[in-house]
Amino acid sequence: MTFVPNVEFKKKLLDVHLEDKIKYCYQCDRCTSVCPVAEATNNRYNPRTIIMGAMLGLPQLVLGAEDNFKIWGCQVCDTCDEKCPNDIELTEIFNLVKNISVQQGTAPEYYTMQAKTILENGKAIPSQSAIERRRKKYGLPPVPKCNVDEIQNILKQTELDKKLKYKWVEEQ
Amino acid sequence: MADSQEKLLFPGCMIGNRIPFIEASARKVFDKLGVKVLDAPFGCCPDPVGFQSTDKESWLALGARNLCIAEEQGKSIVSLCNGCTQTLTAVNQKLKHDAHKKSKVNSMLNSVGKEFKGTIDVYHFVRLLKEEVGINKIKETVTNPLKGLKIACHTGCHYSRPSEIMQYDDPFEPKVLRELVAATGAEVIDYEEEALCCGVGAGNAEEDVGLLVLKRKMDSIVKSGADYIAVICPSCFQQMDGNQRNLQKKFEQEYDIPILYLTEILALAMGYTYDDLNLRRHRVKPKALQNKE
Ligand code: SF4
Ligand code: SF4
Repeated sequence: MTFVPNVEFKKKLLDVHLEDKIKYCYQCDRCTSVCPVAEATNNRYNPRTIIMGAMLGLPQLVLGAEDNFKIWGCQVCDTCDEKCPNDIELTEIFNLVKNISVQQGTAPEYYTMQAKTILENGKAIPSQSAIERRRKKYGLPPVPKCNVDEIQNILKQTELDKKLKYKWVEEQ
Repeated sequence: MADSQEKLLFPGCMIGNRIPFIEASARKVFDKLGVKVLDAPFGCCPDPVGFQSTDKESWLALGARNLCIAEEQGKSIVSLCNGCTQTLTAVNQKLKHDAHKKSKVNSMLNSVGKEFKGTIDVYHFVRLLKEEVGINKIKETVTNPLKGLKIACHTGCHYSRPSEIMQYDDPFEPKVLRELVAATGAEVIDYEEEALCCGVGAGNAEEDVGLLVLKRKMDSIVKSGADYIAVICPSCFQQMDGNQRNLQKKFEQEYDIPILYLTEILALAMGYTYDDLNLRRHRVKPKALQNKE
């Protein structure tokens, strides 16, 4: 495999004021050594490698589609963020890498399904009549309704629908 | 600045729409302690793990929209969930300190008649109990001391990490949950993996990896001799309560430690019973509490 830096990819990550910090990564491996997912998978998931890929602008190191677990294995427990000796905000960088993966269509279904549910209902877990009945039995008020139109309006402006290649009912 | 007026309750999608018995216990505890909460038409917080990973821009905008709803009423938010607390705290902080992001988000919010100003605060209910109610007042409401209950505390990640954003308690050795559990007369049990994640996030991508992380956590708790685990986040609750059976199947090892939400523990100490609190709704049923007065 040849490694040709991808300037666009690098720019995308560095656009967000993370450049100043990320360049201080000296690949000490602290992040990987404290990462519970790296531990559980014998480093199949490896946060240090993602930072290296981002730093060098080598998307193939981190966006390799053959195993999306290499970026999506992160459970965002924020342990690495706390332990990095150079205060690199690793999970901020991982968010951006994962956001790119979503747009490339390589994210695990859990993530895209949750986003579609929010797009359709304004909530990750919509209300259900069985649960509403149970709430009543417990003496709880009904869950207040949220303004779904307003939420959809905002999510159209952020183009979440396009990023997820979501088809609105009227377009189907 | 003391902010001791009414708060807006942010139960979150998971508690409100999946495990509402936890919301019921929280409202009972708030009532006893004189904490006044009101409901508001919030949308999804949204999830700091799932939704932020999917599209950060949308995460920021929807988080800001919820903050606007609270700002319009001039009231701070109290959340029952680590995830909601982290999202709302992080969005609040980012927009307060980044004029560029703020104006970008506001240009979207303006089209639905909203504007983020940065005028309210976001509380995890644990912080509210500690700062605004206080341990002493909680002790005064204990009518049924939980003597003899051995409880391990699992705070969960997004309550105090990243510390730069959350700025509350300690990122790896949090103390407040332990103090609140101890206030009920229960015995707080130490264990090695107290700072470890429950594994729910890894399970989003691959279930088996989430179980491996959970196993490491549970094994450490089993070793400690604790009889119960106290939690303050619905995702941790569901992972630890719902997946003990799966651990058992996968690793042929017995796991039978009931998970109790802090609000359930406090409510028990205030005299509410197993039935009052619908504890039979737990997957790992805290049967030993059934006949307690
Ligand atoms: S801990 Fe920080 S400096 Fe060390 S490899 Fe990880 S990101 Fe780089
Ligand atoms: S946040 Fe992700 S990469 Fe960092 S320690 Fe936790 S699981 Fe590992």
